[in-house]
Amino acid sequence: MAKVTVDGRAIEVPDGANALEACRAAGVDVPHFCYHPKLSVVGQCRMCMVEVEGMPKVQASCTVPIRDGMVIRASSERALAARNATMEFLLINHPLDCPICDQAGECKLQDNAFDAGLPVSRTSEHRRLVPGYERTEIGPHVVADMTRCIQCTRCIRFCQEITGTGELTFVERAGHTFVWTHEGKPLDNDLSACAADVCPVGALTVKEFRFRKRVWWLDKTRSVCDGCEVGCNLSIEFKDRIVYRFTPRVQPAVNDYWLCDYGRFLSERLNEPGTTRPIVTGPGGEKRETNWGEALDAVKAAVDRAISDDPSRVIVVGSARLSTEENWLLARLFRDSLKVKNVEFAVDEGPPRRMKRGNDWVYGTEAAPNSRGAEAAGVRRSVSGDGSRLDLLLSKKNSPPAVLYVADASLSDRVSDPAFVALLRAASVLIVHARVKNALSEAADVVLPAANQSGKEGTFVNRDGRVQRFDMAIVPPPVVRTDLEILLHLGKLWGAFDTAWTASDVFGRMKGSVSGYADLDWNSDDLVGNPPSASITSAYDVLGLERRPEDEVFTRPSVTAPDVKP
Amino acid sequence: MSGGANTPLGELPGNPRAGEHGARSCGHPVAFGAETKAAFDRLLTRYPTKQAALLPALWLAQKEFGWISREAVDYVASLLELSPAFVWGVVTFYTMYNRAPVGKHLIQVCTSISCHLNGAESVYAACRKKLGDLKPGETTPDGKYTVVEVECIAQCDKAPAVQVNEDDFFYVTEEKLDDFLKGLK
Amino acid sequence: MAGLDPIPPVLLARAGKPDSVKLAGYVADGGYVSWKKVLTGSVSGEWTPAKVTEIVKASGLRGRGGAGFPCGLKWTFVPPKERRGGKPVYLLCNADESEPGTFKDRVLIEQDPHQVLEGMMLSSFALDVKHAYVYIRGEMWKGAGILNEAVAEAEAAGLLGKNILGSGMDLDITVHRGGGAYICGEETALIESLEGKRGHPRIKPPFPAVWGAWGCPTVVNNVETLSCVKHIVDRGAEWFKGIGRNDRNTGPKLYCVSGHVEKPGVYEAPIGIPWEQLLAMAGGVKAGRKLKAVIPGGASAPMLTAAEVAGVPMDFDGLAAAKSMFGSAAIIVMDETTDMPKAVTNISKFFAHESCGQCTPCREGTPWLNKALKRIVNGGGKRTDLDLLLSIANQMGNGMTICVFADAAIAPVLSGVSKFRDEFEAYIAESPAADAVLPAPGGITAKVADRMAAGMHD
Repeated sequence: MAKVTVDGRAIEVPDGANALEACRAAGVDVPHFCYHPKLSVVGQCRMCMVEVEGMPKVQASCTVPIRDGMVIRASSERALAARNATMEFLLINHPLDCPICDQAGECKLQDNAFDAGLPVSRTSEHRRLVPGYERTEIGPHVVADMTRCIQCTRCIRFCQEITGTGELTFVERAGHTFVWTHEGKPLDNDLSACAADVCPVGALTVKEFRFRKRVWWLDKTRSVCDGCEVGCNLSIEFKDRIVYRFTPRVQPAVNDYWLCDYGRFLSERLNEPGTTRPIVTGPGGEKRETNWGEALDAVKAAVDRAISDDPSRVIVVGSARLSTEENWLLARLFRDSLKVKNVEFAVDEGPPRRMKRGNDWVYGTEAAPNSRGAEAAGVRRSVSGDGSRLDLLLSKKNSPPAVLYVADASLSDRVSDPAFVALLRAASVLIVHARVKNALSEAADVVLPAANQSGKEGTFVNRDGRVQRFDMAIVPPPVVRTDLEILLHLGKLWGAFDTAWTASDVFGRMKGSVSGYADLDWNSDDLVGNPPSASITSAYDVLGLERRPEDEVFTRPSVTAPDVKP
Repeated sequence: MSGGANTPLGELPGNPRAGEHGARSCGHPVAFGAETKAAFDRLLTRYPTKQAALLPALWLAQKEFGWISREAVDYVASLLELSPAFVWGVVTFYTMYNRAPVGKHLIQVCTSISCHLNGAESVYAACRKKLGDLKPGETTPDGKYTVVEVECIAQCDKAPAVQVNEDDFFYVTEEKLDDFLKGLK
Repeated sequence: MAGLDPIPPVLLARAGKPDSVKLAGYVADGGYVSWKKVLTGSVSGEWTPAKVTEIVKASGLRGRGGAGFPCGLKWTFVPPKERRGGKPVYLLCNADESEPGTFKDRVLIEQDPHQVLEGMMLSSFALDVKHAYVYIRGEMWKGAGILNEAVAEAEAAGLLGKNILGSGMDLDITVHRGGGAYICGEETALIESLEGKRGHPRIKPPFPAVWGAWGCPTVVNNVETLSCVKHIVDRGAEWFKGIGRNDRNTGPKLYCVSGHVEKPGVYEAPIGIPWEQLLAMAGGVKAGRKLKAVIPGGASAPMLTAAEVAGVPMDFDGLAAAKSMFGSAAIIVMDETTDMPKAVTNISKFFAHESCGQCTPCREGTPWLNKALKRIVNGGGKRTDLDLLLSIANQMGNGMTICVFADAAIAPVLSGVSKFRDEFEAYIAESPAADAVLPAPGGITAKVADRMAAGMHD
């Protein structure tokens, strides 16, 4: 560690930090653009200027490695004048696009312009133009507008250093410099939308989000991606029951600052029309909507009947998409209370997803987030030698199940295969929790409408055994229940559960018997991870230090933007 | 993706030096002939990394193919195991790699200070006018002449200085312009 | 002063001779004697790398590329072998001569390439270099061809290659052509360009001597500097020191004189001759006209009025004392017919074209200066423009940027606008927009701009 003084405050900073990070540690948020904790330092934007005692000229703080005893003046008149100068230079060519630019509200140029720069413009010259390079798609998910680019090279460095794909480059030089791809090689890699994340202005924006919502209207909730078992931390951003986008939350233990395109654009899945009312099937095969009471009674009746006949003909299928709490309730109810032996789950092998963590790629090969949690909760992982995992479960050819209880109707991609649906349909009574209508829910005898991932809270265990909590964003519509609630209400019919339990209550009850959960605290920050940050590109995580409210008054000499609470 | 035209400081599209910023296609894949490939292989032995051979390799490409097309970029990138975008970024940084075909005589008129003090701007304007009112960077319709403006070429004592392809020409005043152009076959 | 007495040509001794580029003639004139003596002496221990470095240090040789940094001292920044982690040392000869007004390196390369090569060889010996490169600007087709042939001749004669003359030393020299960029004359941008990238200067520290080409210790020296090394080893440090104005400005110097003079050209003289003597060598101002201004060190040097340049010793310290800089010794002479606003605008166009574009103040500031100046000389100037130009320029230099290109770009604007303000005002007086006013900038920046301006002209 080294002792450094910033604006008169003495602090200790880890060796290897730079002066910008040291200022951050001392509570001084020096404005910057090109610096990013996960990318190489280039010192190009010249925004983060400070004075360092012993160095005669102003310095770009991100380029100054700290030394023990260093004295930094981040808020002296000279430092402020230097930053004002850079801000003025950036604004002379930047278009006045704020009214039509997606980035407004989470734009570093806007934010930094509050801290630095002149309140008026001194230029009357024509602005730089880049005809042909405005609002053009440069990749399947990214729209580029080079009039807005401030040439910070974050996107270029992202593609070179993080994904290693190198699709972006500086083109031309001097005042004509801009960023583009090479003909025929668009910005197309599995993390491509992160290039728009790192862009501090609206030069690169996400196509799917374009013009949909002003970011200051968006409510944000901490969640975890349910696309694979890597378990990237993300923020569900929504307003009035519509999910507008996912953005990554910073989590060095899992996904750094990134989110893969596949996981990011699963957000639209949460807007799909769901199943709306419980459905039961009459004796003549006619399906009708009903209420929860009748539906759950029908389930109980069928299960009781089957168990009294032959419990081995009851098969319960959990899911790696359900939380550990939900899987645990499933196992407690059927296996422990009702003595049903066949409580299993199987998870599809997905196309391999990958995520950059530090300098390494980590891979997710399962198509669901919580196989380890399901297993730890007591639902047996069904594996078979020939790869058709679930079929083994169901291929008791001579006697199809009397009751097949499927706690997730989207348990596999194979539900779009009529043969697979037929296999499950062979059960005498088919009961499903369904988030959306699909072939399996259409075929089921009892359909219990379940909330999608935005309406639930619980924990997933990722590929590394890390337990991560996700929170509810949108209260499910009136008649839809979370899988947790469904199981509590069902279990109550047998006296096994209390419907007053919340997910956190279930968590507390299951801790003792689920491996990996013993020492965890539902309310701890560790479990849920970092808050969605107003600007995910800020240098929050590097030194693990928290923002202290009293620091805000320390250095702002001019108008301060209203603090946007995460 | 679409390449557009820009007008940097007075230069207009069609300028092989600073015209369209997207790489133009030459319509067919390209590859070094045997002799150039041998020269390229020799190049690689002079540097500790493949990437360091990029600028010389681009010179070989320009010599062999006449100009740096999109296909030339892809080819050189593949030879040196670099991303094509990176190579394109290098091509567009430097002024001398032509991104479009140039005329038989690439007339480069210096207009930096010492030549400026000797009337270079009027030589540049007059040269373009004489060749058919060429815009900066434009090529004559018969493909013989392209006229561009360049910065100091280190011939300040012989101002106004002009370079045509690889050759140096000195004292090219407005009065001497006709003779100069006549000498370019 | 004895050191300023005329001397027979040293660097240009062989220029103009028939076949001056050929090895045979070079050897006949005493070339490669030092190279051979140092190599054979290295075996007996009579010559060591440290000895060569000491001689160069003692000579007082200052870099001839523009910065004027003591050459021998720069060499000592290379870590000793035991602290290099096994990395090789590279020597790069900077032949990217692109500073407007400079053409001396071209003359050295085109007229006496072996002089340059021998300088490189001796320097490589001193620095433990096995691979040296000449980074020559792409526009110098002729020079590159001549150098390539000279290298081939040297290789054929066994003066380069493996185990040269049985000394155990290996050395090869590669000529590397640039693509056309002034900024690649900056040493770290040169290194970047050599590595096969866009020529973006690097953040310093680390300095190239410690972390340069491919992360290895690297020394970048100018063509003329390396040519001087050859003569210093030939004739000794004391001889070199005996030429020139004083201990801090030593040796023969090539002066490039261009612009409004009778005889523009390269002139060799002891470093530090007075301005009047140099002007006389170049035949005086063209057509006997009056001198108006001089740019003494290439376009990056602050302009001096006729009064300010009078009596100034033409060397590093002399011009620093006159509040300008010696730079590449590119003297651009402007007589009374010169339209100063147009000259300043022309130079601003150069810098706007040549900025590498990576850092904000330079990338945005150089075109802003150029656009404003063009507007003024095209008749659209405002009375507020001149102070605006000074203000823009004052917030571009002095540590605001990664390299000193910005400091170079602002020098002609600051000196031109302040010293020839009346000419600019004359343009503005004719402008229909003269009285247009933009809102005044808010408090802090105007105050601080003044303070920075005061710092610049201290």
